[in-house]
Amino acid sequence: MKRFAAVITLFLVLLSLSGCGFKDIDKRFFVVGTGIDWSGNKSKPYRITLQLAIPSPKIEPGASKIQYETIDAPSIAEGVRMLKAYVDKELDFGHCKMMIIGEELAKRDINQSIDWMLRRRDIQSVATMAIGRPTAENVLHVQPASERYPGNALLLSFGADGTESSYNYAETLSGLSRRVTEKGMDPVLAIITNDGKESYVINQVALFDKSKIKMILSPTETQMFNQMSDHFTKASMHGMFKGTPMVIAINQLNSSFQIHKNNDPLLINMRIKMDVVFEEAPNGLFESPWGPVEDALSLEYEKATVTLLKKIQKHGIDPFGFGLRYRAMYPGPNSWDNWNQLYPNAKFSVDARVKIEGTGLIR
Amino acid sequence: MNRYFFYNFMLVSLMNLMLFVPHILVSNRYSGAVASLLVAPVIGAILIYMFTNAMSRYPGLGFQDILKLHCPRWLVSLSSIFFAVMWWFSSTIVVVAYAVLINRFFNPDTNSTIILIVLVVAAAYAASRSTLTINFIIEITIIVNAPIILFILFKMVRSPQLNLDSIRVVANYVTKMPTIITISAATLIFTGYIYLALYNRLLPPNFRFKHLYIYPVLGFIILVITFFVPIGFHGTEGVDRYIYLWAVTSDSLSMQYGFIERVVFLFLIVFLNLTLVYTMSGWHLGMEYIKGCFKGSKPEIDSPKAPLSNYIILGTFATATVLYLIFTNEKLNYLITSYWLVLRMFTEIVSVLWIFILSRRRLRSE
Repeated sequence: MKRFAAVITLFLVLLSLSGCGFKDIDKRFFVVGTGIDWSGNKSKPYRITLQLAIPSPKIEPGASKIQYETIDAPSIAEGVRMLKAYVDKELDFGHCKMMIIGEELAKRDINQSIDWMLRRRDIQSVATMAIGRPTAENVLHVQPASERYPGNALLLSFGADGTESSYNYAETLSGLSRRVTEKGMDPVLAIITNDGKESYVINQVALFDKSKIKMILSPTETQMFNQMSDHFTKASMHGMFKGTPMVIAINQLNSSFQIHKNNDPLLINMRIKMDVVFEEAPNGLFESPWGPVEDALSLEYEKATVTLLKKIQKHGIDPFGFGLRYRAMYPGPNSWDNWNQLYPNAKFSVDARVKIEGTGLIR
Repeated sequence: MNRYFFYNFMLVSLMNLMLFVPHILVSNRYSGAVASLLVAPVIGAILIYMFTNAMSRYPGLGFQDILKLHCPRWLVSLSSIFFAVMWWFSSTIVVVAYAVLINRFFNPDTNSTIILIVLVVAAAYAASRSTLTINFIIEITIIVNAPIILFILFKMVRSPQLNLDSIRVVANYVTKMPTIITISAATLIFTGYIYLALYNRLLPPNFRFKHLYIYPVLGFIILVITFFVPIGFHGTEGVDRYIYLWAVTSDSLSMQYGFIERVVFLFLIVFLNLTLVYTMSGWHLGMEYIKGCFKGSKPEIDSPKAPLSNYIILGTFATATVLYLIFTNEKLNYLITSYWLVLRMFTEIVSVLWIFILSRRRLRSE
C-alpha cells in the first residue's frame, strides 16, 4: 500500500510537467536556412531571411515547398523575435543546418552574427556556414528543381553524401568560431552564388581576417587552396608538358607543412604529395618515361602554389594555421609577437611530389 | 568485489564534467592547469594507496565505525555531520547544474525548479535503499553507459576537427606552477576511492585490493581527455567562451548515420543517468553519516525495509537542494563550486591522513 502511494505521488509530481511549453510538431515551423544580410539602413542594419520548410507528405524530386520570411531589424535576435509575429507557428532552429551571411555584411563584420548563433542553444554547432553572393536572401530564394525536401540541395553540396566538388570548402559553426578567436588561424568561408537560373554555384572561398573579408580567391585558386589545406576531395588539374596540354585526376593527396625558424627570413616549407591518373594526355605517353612528366607537373604546381601563398601573405592573413604551428613549436611569452613580426617577411617553399599511377584505360 | 571499487571510481571521474572541472582547468590553461594534470595523479595515487591500505585493516567497517573505535563520541558526531554536509553538497552541485542544463538544452520553456524536484525525488528515493542495492545500481548504470561514453570519446579523439597544434600550444605551458584551485579541480577525478568510507562495510574479511595501479593511469587518461579535447575543438582562445564546455564540444560532432544526428543529445542522456546515480550515491553516504550520529544506531548493509529515518534525512537533503537552486544562479553556483573543490581536497587529505594514522597506531599496539 505504501509503495502504491509512493508511485501515485511520483505520477502527481510528473503531472505538473505538462505545462512546460511542449509544442507539437505540426505547430512548429522548422527553419532550414537562415540568411543574414546588411540592409544598408543604419538604424536597421540587419536583414534576416528565414527559409521555412513546409512539410509535405511525399518526398520526390521537386516536391519541396518553402516559405520565406524577411525582415530588417536593428539586431539579429530582435529580428527573429519580430518575425514570430509574421508566422502562425513556433519557429524552431533545431534543424537549421545552413547559415548564410551576405557578402556585404561579411565585408563589414561577422562577429555579431556568430555571437548570436553560438548563444542560441537550438542552433547546432555543426551547422554549415557560407557566404551568399550578392546577398544571402538571393541565394536562399534559389529553388533547384531537383530538390527532394526543403533545404536539402545546399546541404548535399556541402556534405560528403552528395556531390564532392573540389571547389567547395565546408566550414561548421564551431569551426568558424574557433578560427575567429584563435591566434594564428584565420577564418575561411565558401561563397555561394546564384547562376541566374535554378541552381547554385559554389566555387570560390573568401579569406577573412578576424572579422571581415580580406580577399576572395578565384575558382582555380580555390581548388588549390583546398588541396593545400588538406580539405581534399577528388580533383583534377591542368598541366603542360612540352607544349601539349594534359589533364590529370588526383586520386589521393596529402599536404603538410613545417616551419623552420633557423633560416633568415623564416622559412615555411609545404609538402604536397599526390597520386594522379591521366584523364587527357597525348598519345604514346604510356611508353615514354614518366619521370620527366612527373617532374614537370610538380614544378608547375610548386610555382602556382608559392604564388598563391605569397598573395595570401601579402594580405596579412593566415588561413592555413602557420601562426598556430609557430606558437606550438616555439613557445614563450613573446611567441605571438615574434610571429607577427616574422610572418610578413617569411619565405615559402613548396615541395610537390606528383606520382603517376597510370594513364587511364588507354595507352 | 574489486569491481565495485572500480565502478565508484569511474562514476566520480566521469562526473567531473558536471562539476565544472573542465571549466576551471580551461580558464586557468595559461596559469598552471597543465602542470596540475601531472601533479594530480601523483596526489591521487598516494591518497588511494593510503586510504585502501588503512581501510583494508578494518574489514566490514565504515569510516565512521572506525572513528568510533578510537575517538571520543563528540568528535565523531561533529566530523560526521561535516562529512554529511560535504557529501550532500557534492551531489547538490551536480543535480542543480543538470537541472539548469536541461532548461538550456532540451527545452528553454521548462521551469528548472520543477525539473529539479523531479530529479531529486527520484534520486532521494533511490538513496533510501540499502547500501548493497546502491552498489548494484551503480554497477548497472556504469555498465549500460560506459560503452556510449567510450563511443563519444573515441569519436572525438579521432575527429579531424581536433587540432593538435592548439593542444600543443597549451601543453607548452606545463612549466607554469599549478595553483590550489587547479590542483583541487584536477584531483577530483581521483576522488572515487573515498566512497570506500561507507562501502568498506560491504567488503568481506581478508579482502585484498587488486590492480590499484590502474586507477591513477585511468584517471590521468580521463583528465587529459577532459582538458585537451575541448581545446582541440574550440582553439586556445575560443575554448574560454563556453559555459557548458562539454555539452558544446559534443555538439560540434555529428553522427551522420546515427539515429540522432546531434551527439549532444546522446551525451545529455548519458549524463542524466550518471547525475542521478551520483546524486543517489552521495546522498546515501550523507544519510548514513547522519544516522551514525544517533545513539543505538546499528550499521546495516542490506536491510529489507528502509527505516523512517532514511526518508526524513533524505527529505531534508532534497528540500535543501531545491532551496539552493532558488537562492543561487549559474554564476554563484560556479563560484561556490570552485571554493567547494578546494575545501573538498583538504577535507579529503585530512580524513585520509587521520584514518591512516589510526590504522597504523592499532598495528603498533597489537
